[in-house]
Amino acid sequence: MEYTRQEMMAIATGREFKDGELAIFGVGLSMLAGFFAQKNHAPNLMAFTEGGVYGSTPVGGLPWGIEDNRISANAVSFTGAIDALGFLVASGRVDNAVIGAAEVDKFGNVNTTGIWEPGTEPWRVGKYTLPKVRLNGSGGANEIAVGAKKYLLMVTHERKRFNEKVAYISSPGYLDGGNAREKYGFPGGGPSAMITTLGILRPDPVTKEFILTGYYPFASIEEIKENTGWDLKVAPDVQIIPEPTEKELENLRAVDVTGSLRKK
Amino acid sequence: MNKSKLITMKEAVEKYTYDGMYFGHGGALPVGSDCISFFREMVKAGRKDIDVASNCNTQGTNLLAAVGGLKRMEVGFSGLEVYGFANGLKRAVETGQTILEDYSNGSVPIRMMAGALNWPFVPMFMNTGCDQQWCSADDPENYPNTKKIPEVTDPFTGKVCGAFTPIKPDVAAIHVTMADIYGNAIMLGSEWCRYELSRCSKKVILVADKIVDTGVMRQYPNLVRIPYIVTDAVVYAPYGVWPACSTGLYDSDEEHMYYMNKMLKTEEGTKEYLQAFGQYGDVWDYVDMIGQERIDKISATDTAFLMDPYKQWIKTDAEIKELLERR
Repeated sequence: MEYTRQEMMAIATGREFKDGELAIFGVGLSMLAGFFAQKNHAPNLMAFTEGGVYGSTPVGGLPWGIEDNRISANAVSFTGAIDALGFLVASGRVDNAVIGAAEVDKFGNVNTTGIWEPGTEPWRVGKYTLPKVRLNGSGGANEIAVGAKKYLLMVTHERKRFNEKVAYISSPGYLDGGNAREKYGFPGGGPSAMITTLGILRPDPVTKEFILTGYYPFASIEEIKENTGWDLKVAPDVQIIPEPTEKELENLRAVDVTGSLRKK
Repeated sequence: MNKSKLITMKEAVEKYTYDGMYFGHGGALPVGSDCISFFREMVKAGRKDIDVASNCNTQGTNLLAAVGGLKRMEVGFSGLEVYGFANGLKRAVETGQTILEDYSNGSVPIRMMAGALNWPFVPMFMNTGCDQQWCSADDPENYPNTKKIPEVTDPFTGKVCGAFTPIKPDVAAIHVTMADIYGNAIMLGSEWCRYELSRCSKKVILVADKIVDTGVMRQYPNLVRIPYIVTDAVVYAPYGVWPACSTGLYDSDEEHMYYMNKMLKTEEGTKEYLQAFGQYGDVWDYVDMIGQERIDKISATDTAFLMDPYKQWIKTDAEIKELLERR
């Protein structure tokens, strides 16, 4: 069956969710990946939104926002941000989550705040310079990065997005690597994988540097290395990730009713 | 509780808002419930140098930034969710007109809670070990910044965390689904941090889609998260969240969300937008401006059934006009 790279990324992300987990998804593609998992293999995945919409599934198409009416039409409970994003996420209770990124680095730090001219990044010049392009900021991703037991980064695999060091850390991954997170007492465990449009990178258990552990049938190790801005290490047991099954594609497309992942 | 606080939108903006104020709004996500029509009224009144505490940008702050009225903003998320970047705000930030101080969606509500509790500061792990802590738009030369979110040590465990200032706005305008004339309110959908915002602000204006009889509050007191005691004024604002959504009443207006954001991208576009959508008179003119066709379309929401229990208490426009005249 034909499928797009975006669909492969969503399915590979969805496969990371296990039945019964307490999970939180972002808006857009990550929400589709999460609800795909629920439909496909994890019917008891317990999902909620950062503002405390519980027990709902999207109605009438991809929600325009995390708490919009398309996700509020069949909820069992509405609460608020301190409850959901605070008590359940930042506290360390949520099992798994997905966050998107404009830019990532080799230790899984995420930038969603701005694009700086190379050489003008705040960490490089020692002051907060204005970004050339202002992006959206961290939203609730910072709480996920700090608190989730583990979480997934969903990123389009392009060289400009995969850098040695991000311009701005909006959501902390493993910071400078190794045990750098420990200084901050974060309750969560850090990112467990980067699921990209070409393959999957996972952190080395000791150095926390992300290494290539799998690639999709349509991609190659060379292509992935070319599209990664650091000297990407390849796991000795790197694998070809199975392409979507017919059932997986059917379930994904049932969730992605507006076809947003089918656009090439 | 026997004093009506119902006033018009124009009166609320004249009486409670002023240039240079520290303004709380939203307590919602970009596509969710914010008092967008209150921002339109502030723009009509030419309010400027506004310092806002937002947990998220909305079309309200996007518009205020686009006209150059937003001096500073503390925010967790500055986009418009699936509708993309907020062009008016983005332009104001990139040109240095608006000082944007970054936090996150979780830390802003907790800072509001700290403001409500009158705490000196609140410790959190969020926004530490990253650039929300190290970069300060208020104090850009100091990097890594040591004043915005200073590191403090937990006296019990020795762990490091961040100390955050509480948020205490001068004025907050809070969208609610329904309010009575005394200032009791019920919100449908995620309340996000409107509960905390209603408690940390010095003055609170409720911007309500529906004015209802107090009977509904006595029927469902558990749902009344904002009681009259914290409320200073109540404004009737039908479709006040348009073009974003109000759970139970209307969906986001896809076409207008994109159109408005596209127009706010430039100064000229913003002027043109305001000529078409910033010239109306009172709230009834505002509804006419949106137009029946759009109203029918956005009102066909899958959440409409959520309003079923409340219908018998909703005041008609005629009743609301009478309540305003009787003051």
